[in-house]
Amino acid sequence: MADQQTEIERAIERAIAEGRVSRRSFLRRAGQGGLWLGGALSLPAILAACGIKPQSSASASAASASSNASPTPMPTQAGQVQWANWPAYIDIDDKGKYPTIEKFTKETGIKVTYTEDVNDNEDFFGKIQPDLAKGNPTGYDLIVLTDWLIEKMIRLGYLEKLDHDQLPNFAANADPSYTNPWYDPNNVHSLAWQSGITGIGYNPKLTKREITKFDDLLDPAFKGHVGMFSEMRDTMCLTLLSMGIKPAEAKIADVQKAGDKLLGPAKAGQFRNFYGNDYYDELANKNLWITIAWSGDVTQMQLYDNADVKFVIPDTGGMHWVDNMTIPNLAAHPTDAHMLMNFWYDPANALPLSEYIGYYSPVKNISDLISKDADKVEASGDKATADQMRVVAATVNPSGEQLKHAYDYKILSEDEEKQWNEIFQTVTTG
Amino acid sequence: MLRRFRWVVPYLFLIPGGLWLLAFFVVPMVIMASVSLQTGSLGTGYQMTWNFGVYPAAINQFSTQFLRSFEYGFIVTILTLLIGYPMAYTIAFRGGRAKNILLLLVILPFFTSFIIRTLAWKLILADEGFVLGTLKSWHLLPEGFGLIATPISVISGLVYNFLPFMVLPLYVAIEKVDHRLVEAATDLYASRMQAFLRVTLPLSMPGVFAGSLLTFIPAVGDYVNALILGSRSTRMIGNVIQDLFLNFNDFPRAAALGFVLMAAILLMVALYARLIGAEELTSG
Repeated sequence: MADQQTEIERAIERAIAEGRVSRRSFLRRAGQGGLWLGGALSLPAILAACGIKPQSSASASAASASSNASPTPMPTQAGQVQWANWPAYIDIDDKGKYPTIEKFTKETGIKVTYTEDVNDNEDFFGKIQPDLAKGNPTGYDLIVLTDWLIEKMIRLGYLEKLDHDQLPNFAANADPSYTNPWYDPNNVHSLAWQSGITGIGYNPKLTKREITKFDDLLDPAFKGHVGMFSEMRDTMCLTLLSMGIKPAEAKIADVQKAGDKLLGPAKAGQFRNFYGNDYYDELANKNLWITIAWSGDVTQMQLYDNADVKFVIPDTGGMHWVDNMTIPNLAAHPTDAHMLMNFWYDPANALPLSEYIGYYSPVKNISDLISKDADKVEASGDKATADQMRVVAATVNPSGEQLKHAYDYKILSEDEEKQWNEIFQTVTTG
Repeated sequence: MLRRFRWVVPYLFLIPGGLWLLAFFVVPMVIMASVSLQTGSLGTGYQMTWNFGVYPAAINQFSTQFLRSFEYGFIVTILTLLIGYPMAYTIAFRGGRAKNILLLLVILPFFTSFIIRTLAWKLILADEGFVLGTLKSWHLLPEGFGLIATPISVISGLVYNFLPFMVLPLYVAIEKVDHRLVEAATDLYASRMQAFLRVTLPLSMPGVFAGSLLTFIPAVGDYVNALILGSRSTRMIGNVIQDLFLNFNDFPRAAALGFVLMAAILLMVALYARLIGAEELTSG
């Protein structure tokens, strides 16, 4: 904002300098109540001056400068960290407290302000983007976002570089499939938080049959009780897969066909709405019978909110995604954020997290550790809990079968993204 | 000497308000006007190209949502008026000593956030929630019946949220009506109905005017109710603008839609003022 105001001031000065209005006559007119006229004269200049700067990392804007320079010397620990994560993505106890985060605070003295501010990648990006574009801090030190958005934000120069000297646990304990990923070579900007698969969640008691394929979402019998995602990529890519097209190879004509496939049912009221992470409550409290869903959410729902719900990867395939911890430009407490990232790569801390949330963990051998824990619990006589833990142990690593049916997102150029969005918007807005 | 400059005084009083308007209305408007005429993208940046074509294109593309927003706004204004007038009338004329408590009850919902109140409706009206779920278990409603994600839930949410904005101005206007005028009318053989139609109602018209503006304008631009209680087929123009701004980073089209919305509302308000004779109302 400040930037644009100075642009306006400059435009006014330019208009005056060009002699369109002399300073004196400008002031005199203003004094006579002719300010409006003076303003109107320079209005085109003002309007034209409010351009928005390009955001590619090639440009030397204030925002990108800080992330492209060699890692800035790390400030010392500040004693706090502002963390934005997704709902249902952390272990939580009966009192609504976060036991593992509290352990971190106890060990380091760093206070963590944990928020579930991310409901949808695009939406959250839209909220922090204006600050990042202007080179202002976002107020967050650590954010968790999906792989394709990490790729885009690196391209725009919005993310700080990580100092891997401060992340020894990552080097020691990260599962090799999460190092050097396609969206962030050498983990320069991000470390995996958890990963999972986008597939279908459903409640067999309400659908009254088992679900196996994507086209079940379009079954008129479920009209008005079907959830779709407001995340364009998830919804469109699952649809593309249902038509036998790999998302990474999709052309615009394919995307148009996928849009057309959804448009008819959308117009007929097949879909209740297009959801972010808020689909979770809708599925748990039976407003939705069947919906696009994220694997780990459904595991949690089975354990804590609604035991009936099931997750399935459609026979045509699901999307494999990795959510990542990353530090936005000009974060106020980067050292603390590094310590917190490092903390989660200690198996002792990753274990309780995974036992609770049931997503794929990027930390080595978590599944074995959970099984061992389950044995201990069973030995102490609590067989029910042990069985629950074994269910989770089976879900925290993807099986080969699951990964064979899961695909990566396509890296979209600006133009492609715009075209995909346009097509998707005709589906979501009627 | 002092007397010579007395004409300045009212203008001095206008300065704080004027500055506020300049900083928080005029400047943002100029920026928005500028953004709406630019083309580009996040990566390449936005440049001023005087692309006026964005206006007709945006109006064409989203005419359904525009019309729907005005339709909902209109329905909401009528409903709040029908619900609010008897309420305000009763509080003003029959409230007695309970007046203040009743008024407090009207504004009590404001002590919770707008979003929380709307989310509460989502729970109350859920398909298997305690209202519909109970009615369904008594077989008073068919199994698949639902209210959320229909125009009914969106309009109900809007009516609920904006009712106080209708009731308060109505109350102020009705409260000011001199009761002796009503008595005079009945003394002159007017029935109570006639007295209401010929005396109370015309005198309370400023309240009707203010109340309907305070309801109609925010209701047309609202996106929260349609977002939380609605679905694809109830999307309003506010939802489209939010989508374009936050999800698609399409700032020019979003800014253009914002302008068109404002212009359309101004036009409607001007027509309404002409229709109801606002100048006579405010001077009276």
